[in-house]
Amino acid sequence: MTAASEDTLTKVSTEAATEFVKTFYPALGLNRGSLSSYYSLEPTTILFNGNRVADGAAVQEIFTNQMSPTYYEVQSYDCQIINKAYPTVLPGGGLKPLSERGVKDMSILIIVSGFVRYGEGRDQPQRGFSETFVLVPNPSAERARGRKDWLIESQNFRLVV
Amino acid sequence: MKSMKSRRGGGNDRGGIRKRGPTRTDRDGDMDMDASGARAKRNRAEKSGLGGRLAGAGAGGRAAGASSRAHARKKMDDVLERAIYSLDEPTNFPRGKKPSSDLEPFSVRGWKSSKAASNRDGGVESLIAFLERRMNSFMKSGPRAKITKSRTEGDTLIAFVRPDLAGHMLRINNNVFAGAHVTVEAYTAATALENELAAADTGPNSTTDIKTRMTTILGKRFFPATKLLDLSKMLDDPDMDSVEFLNTASTKSKFFPALMKVWEMGFKTTAERLEAVESVSLAGNKLSNINPVTTLAQSFPDIQYLDLSDNNLKNSQAMIGWRWKFRNLIFLDLTGNEISSDPTFKDTMLKWYPKLQTLNNVQVRTPEEVAAQKKTPIPILPPHFIDESQVGENFVRAFFPGYDNDRNSLVSSVYDDESTFSLNVNTTATRAGQTETAGWGEYIRKSRNLDKISHLSARMSRSFKGVEKIREVFNSLPPTRHPDLIAKAEQWLIECHPVPHLPDPTGQSPTGVGGLSLMVHGQLEESVGGKIELRSFDRTFIIGPGNTPGGIRVISEVFSLRAYGGHEAWSPEIQALSQIPQVAVPGPVLTPSPAPPAAAAPGGNVAEGYGLPRPGKSDAQLQQEQMVIQMSEKSGMTFEYSEMALAGNGWNVELAWKNFEQLKATNALPPTAFLAPA
Repeated sequence: MTAASEDTLTKVSTEAATEFVKTFYPALGLNRGSLSSYYSLEPTTILFNGNRVADGAAVQEIFTNQMSPTYYEVQSYDCQIINKAYPTVLPGGGLKPLSERGVKDMSILIIVSGFVRYGEGRDQPQRGFSETFVLVPNPSAERARGRKDWLIESQNFRLVV
Repeated sequence: MKSMKSRRGGGNDRGGIRKRGPTRTDRDGDMDMDASGARAKRNRAEKSGLGGRLAGAGAGGRAAGASSRAHARKKMDDVLERAIYSLDEPTNFPRGKKPSSDLEPFSVRGWKSSKAASNRDGGVESLIAFLERRMNSFMKSGPRAKITKSRTEGDTLIAFVRPDLAGHMLRINNNVFAGAHVTVEAYTAATALENELAAADTGPNSTTDIKTRMTTILGKRFFPATKLLDLSKMLDDPDMDSVEFLNTASTKSKFFPALMKVWEMGFKTTAERLEAVESVSLAGNKLSNINPVTTLAQSFPDIQYLDLSDNNLKNSQAMIGWRWKFRNLIFLDLTGNEISSDPTFKDTMLKWYPKLQTLNNVQVRTPEEVAAQKKTPIPILPPHFIDESQVGENFVRAFFPGYDNDRNSLVSSVYDDESTFSLNVNTTATRAGQTETAGWGEYIRKSRNLDKISHLSARMSRSFKGVEKIREVFNSLPPTRHPDLIAKAEQWLIECHPVPHLPDPTGQSPTGVGGLSLMVHGQLEESVGGKIELRSFDRTFIIGPGNTPGGIRVISEVFSLRAYGGHEAWSPEIQALSQIPQVAVPGPVLTPSPAPPAAAAPGGNVAEGYGLPRPGKSDAQLQQEQMVIQMSEKSGMTFEYSEMALAGNGWNVELAWKNFEQLKATNALPPTAFLAPA
């Protein structure tokens, strides 16, 4: 593994954040059946307004079966690399060998600011939210289309307005 | 005028509005009916271009003398009505809005001291010709430059031009017109008010004088104890019965915006201003639409009670300007207005004002219905705060006072050379009410909103790594004041949970070290150009062990700023349990915890594996489960209540136990809190 330059690290992390934000929020509204695919299999903490949710499957279940229509709009977001040498754990257990680790083996902090409308129609009030994510590398070796390079390790959603 | 002067005292009326209180100051509006006042009035009436009616009415009032004051008074009322609440005059006070959508207004000053000022028209015509000539001289092609529209306000010419000419207009600034330097500036609300006040300038004190008058009017109509600003029946106010006053600040429909401006000047901070008033009455002001008073919504965005009774509002169109305003309105009185008999009236008002409960003194919505509306699909719970040895708590307690008071020491104590920081501004954030936001200045230059900042070089230069870079950026940001973490706890929402696999500063652990993610939502005050601005923020820190003085370092931090959005959004919807101890004990509060783990069945039937390690279960969760089991064994409470007690006390066993004992001693716990006897 060679140390990546600051340019590369910035490019990779900010593009990962953009890709995530631009697909995850629309999915919350329109593609709820795909939600679990955004999550790590063993996320540490998932919170919605202080309610703890077990995992990605539970998030998908809640959004699919219990939520009114929602419309999210992201107004601002930013990210920082947390660990640029993230100890990615292989699906079969055990750490990914150092020789196989690349620039994408990084964990990323993302903070998003925007609004959400619950219910149908533009007349519904806009509720401001702030949401924090920690994304970690996807350990799966699968190379299928639409494979996500990063998955949600923790998530904290809060209505703030 | 003597008594006016003595009352003016030190002349500093900042904050005076509040202090003055409901006590009526002595009325001496009549004092101004002296010769100089009348003269000033006549001059101004001519100058202001308000036309013969006002000048005539004023002159009539004066000629009539004291013997026919009642008659004069009546005439005055007519003038007042037209002047202050005129219908045919559009709102002339462009608070950020252009009078015409495709023309831009500019103010031109300084020409009054030119040679052309002695022309019959005061030099206006030759000034306009001069401006057009200058603009054309800057242009090489395209349609000729023209002043499309213009008017004068005192010594200022307001000239309207096509937007493409804006640059050329500004270039004329400081050019010489007929021997005088002219100032050309974009015409804004601030300029408008300045002109308004300056238009009264017949003596060195008259601007202050108008301000003082308005302060007097506001002072006697503001009732701090009940948070009421009573602006009803303004036309009958003896303090409005001042010729000088009327002819100046009240010309056209500018009186009210100026009054609002004076009100705003009376407060040091936006928060203080917003909190001062809950109710406003504009009853009995003969309003046939809200245009003349529309700025009320800017100065009082959060009021809950609004009395518009006994006006001449005919239909909802007359109120359309307030369609999206007053989002917190719970009481609205429109009795004595034609609008009330409109069949769609109730539905329209319910739609316009989501929190409205009482309309024309009749309940139209219950508090429960309002609450149900606000209810989100995901209930609002108290903060989830899972700390480790109070590391997170101590960090927050030290960080914010440090950020306010001594950023240098703060940076040295919790950042290291690997720490990264960036900030972003959400300039379009949803707000609480219609509060205006000050510009973002220094923040916007550093904002790394990735939605807007797409170039890699900018993304790099707006991220700061290491103690010195972070010190530099912190010191470049405006000084702040955060509310007290304990005294104003409700203004904060602070959550915390463990995060694994953080970089190990010693490099020893291949899987990294554990740390905490801290998510802080709150507000800060900041001094912008001498005015205190209130903003909201969201700030996330990833903290972990480090070689800093306190052994804790910030690994990554993102600071997000937005317009003030209040703190109502996170006040918990479930209050039932947290309210009990408020009566019983002043100590730590037992609150419902976020989603008790599914394993902790209320009856105490322990799901398999609860409290035992299993794959995928974090150490922190395991530790908590074990604490819940111990708490349950010791207290006899169910797992659910045991977890509530622990979570509600930050997982501090001692505090949770103390809390439990207090609640038990006062019989505040329901029978269902306890395990059924075996």
